[in-house]
Amino acid sequence: MGELTEPFQFEFFVRGMVAATLVGLLCGAVGVYVVLRSLAYIGHGLAHSIFGGAVVSFVSGISFYIGATLWGVFTVLLINAAARRRQIGGDAAIGIITTCAFALGVALISRHGQFTRDFDAALFGEILGITSGDLAVIGGVLVLAAAVIFAFWKQLLFTTFDSDVASTYGVPVPWVEALFSLVLAATVIASLQVLGATLIAAALVIPPVTARLLTDSFTRMFTLAALLGGASGLVGVYVSWFIDVSSGATVVLLQGALFAVALAWAVARSRWPGTGSGERLAAIEGATLD
Amino acid sequence: MVELAPSAPGHRPPPHPDGEPLVELRDLSTGYERTPVLRNVDFTLRRGEFAGVVGPSGSGKTTLLRAIAGQTRRFAGAIETRPRPGERALRLGYVPQVEAINWNFPLTVGQAVLMGRWREMGWRPWPRRHDRELLANILERLGIGHLVGRQIRALSGGQQQRTFLARALIGDPDLLLLDEPTSGVDIKTRHEIMHLLGELNRAGTTILMSTHDLNAVATHLPRLVCVGEGALVADGAPEGVLTPEVLRRTYGADMLVLRRGDAIYVVEHLDDAMTGESEETPVPATPVGG
Repeated sequence: MGELTEPFQFEFFVRGMVAATLVGLLCGAVGVYVVLRSLAYIGHGLAHSIFGGAVVSFVSGISFYIGATLWGVFTVLLINAAARRRQIGGDAAIGIITTCAFALGVALISRHGQFTRDFDAALFGEILGITSGDLAVIGGVLVLAAAVIFAFWKQLLFTTFDSDVASTYGVPVPWVEALFSLVLAATVIASLQVLGATLIAAALVIPPVTARLLTDSFTRMFTLAALLGGASGLVGVYVSWFIDVSSGATVVLLQGALFAVALAWAVARSRWPGTGSGERLAAIEGATLD
Repeated sequence: MVELAPSAPGHRPPPHPDGEPLVELRDLSTGYERTPVLRNVDFTLRRGEFAGVVGPSGSGKTTLLRAIAGQTRRFAGAIETRPRPGERALRLGYVPQVEAINWNFPLTVGQAVLMGRWREMGWRPWPRRHDRELLANILERLGIGHLVGRQIRALSGGQQQRTFLARALIGDPDLLLLDEPTSGVDIKTRHEIMHLLGELNRAGTTILMSTHDLNAVATHLPRLVCVGEGALVADGAPEGVLTPEVLRRTYGADMLVLRRGDAIYVVEHLDDAMTGESEETPVPATPVGG
């Protein structure tokens, strides 16, 4: 028993576990809108583009969080605008805009050689290096996301389902899109330190897709995705202590395992007519990670 | 809330020439981005009317509906609407084409219909008792009360149309706009939908619908608007509008119009016409704009 509770005596571990749980919850909830908009790779792209924003903040001497958030919101709005043009589409819009934003960061680094900020954590995550300040930022973003989603639940749902028709019904779609862009950019920035740019896409996509396999209701999908994200963050970090594997990777592998179980369950159920699993399986096409 | 009164199928309600103008388009040229789709359109829809818009694909039927909904770019002319006292805009109930709906979205019938009441539901994400009562009422009236928890894909074509008709009606609209509500459904469902729309109109709902189904509008609608190559070709009662000359100007193809008593049938393929058994009665067209 003492062995099982051993990691809890270390403050940095407890902080990391709380951070991973909150980030899992946040990414799971926000990821529902990402997946349903067929923008599965936006998290991956955005995490890299924010690197460009971080460099621009450094060069211009403003706070990383403010600069990166503004950069991220601008990037998401650009992606939304480009994705509406049928000649481009969402996947290509993400590919073009986020890589250009990333390349701008690289170009600025090459011009300002003294750039010293450590981006290893941002690229690969460093859960056990989380500070109280990082935890406060994650908590703040979680409160912001919860407030926006709660206050604009109906508008977000309608806009995600069909933005053109939502506009006909009087939903202020541009404002809703801008708010969602702010929440998404803040989510990615808050998650960078915990999961790293390379694993954020997984945390945004896997819990919502797993939840989609288990339900046909938007409300239940949202709740399940947040719970699965939070639980896999909590359990993943705890397990990583004992198996001596990177915490971020363990969280994502755990989410992948849950997805595999849900998929197997859905396939098994689809053999029984009238269960609806066939539709759910069809629904996740294009939303899963390769 | 609308009251649905029973009526005989195929009965055509009288037009409402004396109703107050609800929507007026004056010399309107409108379209998308840099391209006008409709040019120099003059069109008035009065309160209580039931009108159909017909024309070939790409002629501007949907654009006419979207222009009234404020979803197009105005190049010239004016759109005037008469909202109810104290309101800034018309309350619209819009039913999009079935092809435009994401059927894989995790949305139940109840969640889809309540989107139409997003504004009246206030700040809460969840419906109040009054909203749930209205939902139950409208679903019962449309005959889909037992499907409230069903995912939208797991419905028949007629049930899907009724779901989105319910979404349009639950907001108590001034005007119901339907984009090809009878496309992609079988003959029985098409008849049911037209019958239902006729009942709603008799209960006071103003309706404008686009369709490819000439015979359905000839049977059910008191007013027909023909759109061809971005212009209004004819506007009036089906008896006056459905003539070979108007149809040739609208569709650019020869069609045969057969009349038997009050019934009008349009034969799209002349080879299929049994002209020996029917009497073709030429009726002068009601041209619009020369």
